[in-house]
Amino acid sequence: MPASVTGVVFDIRELTIHDGPGLRTTVFLKGCPLRCAWCHNPEGWSSEPQVLRGPNGDRVAGRSYRADELATILNRQAPLLADGGVSFSGGEPLRQAAFLEAVLERLEGLHVVLGTTGFAPMEDFLRVVRRCDFVLFDVKLMDPEAHRRWTGVDNRLILDNLARLADLGSAYLIRVPLVPGVTDTEANLRAIARHARELPGRPQVELLPYNRAAGGKYAACGLEWRPEYDETVPCRTDLTPFHELQVDARVL
Amino acid sequence: MNAILEQRQAALPELSPRLAEMKRRIRAGEHHRFRSTDAVDVLAECERENLDWTRRAARLTRRLCEAQTVVIEPDERIVFTRTVKQIPPLYRPEQLDGLLAGRTFHELGPINNICADWGMVLGQGLLARRAAALATRARLAGDGEAETFLDAAVETIDAVLELARRYAAAARADGRDDLAEVLQRAPAHPAESFQQALQSLRLCHAVLWLSGHYHCGLGRLDQYLWPYLKADLAEGRLAPEEAQELLEEFFISLNKDSDLYPGIQQGDNGQSLMLGGTRRDGGDGVNPLTAMALEAGRKVALIDPKINLRVTRDTDLALLANGVQLTRIGLGFPQWCNDEVVIPGLAAAGYDLEDARDYTVAACWEFIIPGKGMEVVNIGAVSMPAAADRAIRAGLQAGEGFDRILERAGADLAEQVRELAETSRKLLLPPAPWYSVLMDGCLERGQDLCHGLKYNNFGIHGAGSANAADALAAVRALVCDQRRIEPTRLIQALDADFQGYDALRSELCDGAPKVGNHDDGADGLLAYLFDRFADACADAGDNGRGGGYRPGTGSAMYYVWLARGHEGMREPTVGATADGRHKGVFFSSSLAPSPDVQVRGPLSVLQSFGKLDYRRICNGGPLTMELADSLFRGMEAVGKVALFIRAFARSGCQQMQLNTLNLDTLRDAQQHPERHRNLVVRVWGWSGYFCELDESYQNQIIGRHIYGA
Repeated sequence: MPASVTGVVFDIRELTIHDGPGLRTTVFLKGCPLRCAWCHNPEGWSSEPQVLRGPNGDRVAGRSYRADELATILNRQAPLLADGGVSFSGGEPLRQAAFLEAVLERLEGLHVVLGTTGFAPMEDFLRVVRRCDFVLFDVKLMDPEAHRRWTGVDNRLILDNLARLADLGSAYLIRVPLVPGVTDTEANLRAIARHARELPGRPQVELLPYNRAAGGKYAACGLEWRPEYDETVPCRTDLTPFHELQVDARVL
Repeated sequence: MNAILEQRQAALPELSPRLAEMKRRIRAGEHHRFRSTDAVDVLAECERENLDWTRRAARLTRRLCEAQTVVIEPDERIVFTRTVKQIPPLYRPEQLDGLLAGRTFHELGPINNICADWGMVLGQGLLARRAAALATRARLAGDGEAETFLDAAVETIDAVLELARRYAAAARADGRDDLAEVLQRAPAHPAESFQQALQSLRLCHAVLWLSGHYHCGLGRLDQYLWPYLKADLAEGRLAPEEAQELLEEFFISLNKDSDLYPGIQQGDNGQSLMLGGTRRDGGDGVNPLTAMALEAGRKVALIDPKINLRVTRDTDLALLANGVQLTRIGLGFPQWCNDEVVIPGLAAAGYDLEDARDYTVAACWEFIIPGKGMEVVNIGAVSMPAAADRAIRAGLQAGEGFDRILERAGADLAEQVRELAETSRKLLLPPAPWYSVLMDGCLERGQDLCHGLKYNNFGIHGAGSANAADALAAVRALVCDQRRIEPTRLIQALDADFQGYDALRSELCDGAPKVGNHDDGADGLLAYLFDRFADACADAGDNGRGGGYRPGTGSAMYYVWLARGHEGMREPTVGATADGRHKGVFFSSSLAPSPDVQVRGPLSVLQSFGKLDYRRICNGGPLTMELADSLFRGMEAVGKVALFIRAFARSGCQQMQLNTLNLDTLRDAQQHPERHRNLVVRVWGWSGYFCELDESYQNQIIGRHIYGA
């Protein structure tokens, strides 16, 4: 991939906590095909830079980088990231697969984690994950209908990509965002546990408890925060469905 | 998630009910009822007996020890409560003028901001110190000055021994035989147990304050105390939990009298201690007390003692995590010191390697050697923003290029250092017989520490550095290189404090590189300023006391004073600056990106400030970063921040303060101080109760860069 390919990034955050092992810097790539009802990064939806209107004034979210430019920024940080590395999140980073690939080609000695919804053309998905050291793969809902209702897309492609990832023998784990009454139901967690148990390598499952600050950025994006679930209900963090099936699971 | 976090936190031990009650009493000031309002008159007898300064200082120690009422609370295992409120004068003001004879005191006068050799004191005991004084007196018989000093030193030792004797007798009378036995040993004899060592330290340290000294350091506490604890544990005399509780009680005791200590505001009292790090022989000094002290600090959660932890890139992650658990609760402790940078820096500045390895910090962050340093680490500050501002104005008015402007800034710093050096040579350090007892070699040489110790350097703060570098970076980019701003227009805008120059100010703020983003251009200017500052200190010569001048990266209160001015301050103030900063706005405290500057994150900040050549700037001054407490909401955060500390050690930075803040809490505390009486925040080299700070200081803290929010 050429150095000149550009991509849109809406944040580069240092010292991120939940984006992979060790000390990490996370790049948030802009643009996402999903519209999860609980999304806390709505500025990651559109692929274009956009103005956020906050109480302390406006700010532009999203900046275009050349692949070599972003790679240089990350490579210059490598001496401090020896205990960790860089992570790519979003949005859905695979929305900008060519750019991402061009950046990954240029990273030097950095451990790379991809955080993905798994919703991407399989060829894009495979090209990128082959260049990553670890994948945090989101599985939200096993029921296709519920998945369409709460994320706006079908989960067929996602589960196919997950199967291919497992076949590749890549290092990965499954992330489940816990949303009260939506994804944290016993039926859904059991279904995810069953699915994980059947995958080659039997991946670990991490449950990500619901973040009550999810709606925080909607107003700035000109959107209304109107969740169709009751976010005041504490989400269930029950690991029993996983432990019963000998699936390694933990709550973040 | 919160439930899990709470469970996890619940797993961390808390103060025992006994200590929780003790802490409550002290915070409520219930022990103030023991305090006497009677002033002790020392001056009259000094005049009657026509005593010289040294003997007057000893008489002060003696009379104030005598004036102390013995206080033993039923639940106390480590005793001493100060009951004498005021330190009386030794001379009348007009007499002092005569004594000074054109010379000046440093700050309030009495020796301060140094650290005793507590390891030696605990190991020898005061009777051995007394014998050493008498032996020297016999050897130097006829040397009047030495005799006077040694007599004075013995007078102070006897005063402390008598105070301990009175405490022991009262303990016996109270049926507290346990305490009486400790006090009959400590501090007279070498400590034989952990409790004796703590009691000895508490008493000897408290008498420093009682003698008018302030910013009295505690040094390498885990090194000094470990031999006693180790023996207790090995002999089965003490259970580990009991030892932990004793240490916590000692920490609580350090907070009893802090409202009586002089300082800029309460909390600025220099009761700092150092943990971990390299031993004098080069071995690893981390011992079980290192982690115990970190835990004690977390559980006690008061403004004293101020905890410092030495690290390298190889420091055990579990120990770093212990330190981060303390960081998490927001006191601003520990302050992290990088042995990989500090020790070579001190060695390059002329300290013997063994001594360099033995460093602690003075009140705030300045590196000093316990028992061996009579250094005045804060004789003043250079204003880097003033140097940059004057260079920019003069250079642009003369139509000069940027290189010449830079040279002017360097020359301005050199001139500021010259002025400070000249003034500081007039410093007069008064005699300090009790402090001398606690230092290496004073009794053996028959010489008060005011005449100097092994190390006698002066330190100068380099304040406002990031703003200065940003101002120069903006002028280079926007005026000199891109020519987007006319020189005269810039000067007019600065004179007008940017009133009517909004667009120009926006360009200065947003259109030029800033320190803190790992940008070599801006960071290079920062490094240049410190290099020239270091050159100037090296050129300043002898300080009149056999030492030189050490440049540092701290600001102390100068981040406020250089912006707003301060009565009696010699350092120059500056108005609006070319980085877009309005007149009067505070600079960053010590090392930090300028306020309101966009910064990518804490790793970039480490990389920016890791570019400084700390071998040349060894007076200390921490890189200061604020973390949002929300960062710690996940279970993994403590481990991640521990890795961040390791990255700090790798980065080449020298020293770091990591403060944990919650903006909502701080704002609520401004509105409802009564709800947040125990809220502690790090201010600069010290931590204080947020609600007791002046509002401008509160606001400065609220306005700092907060990472991880």
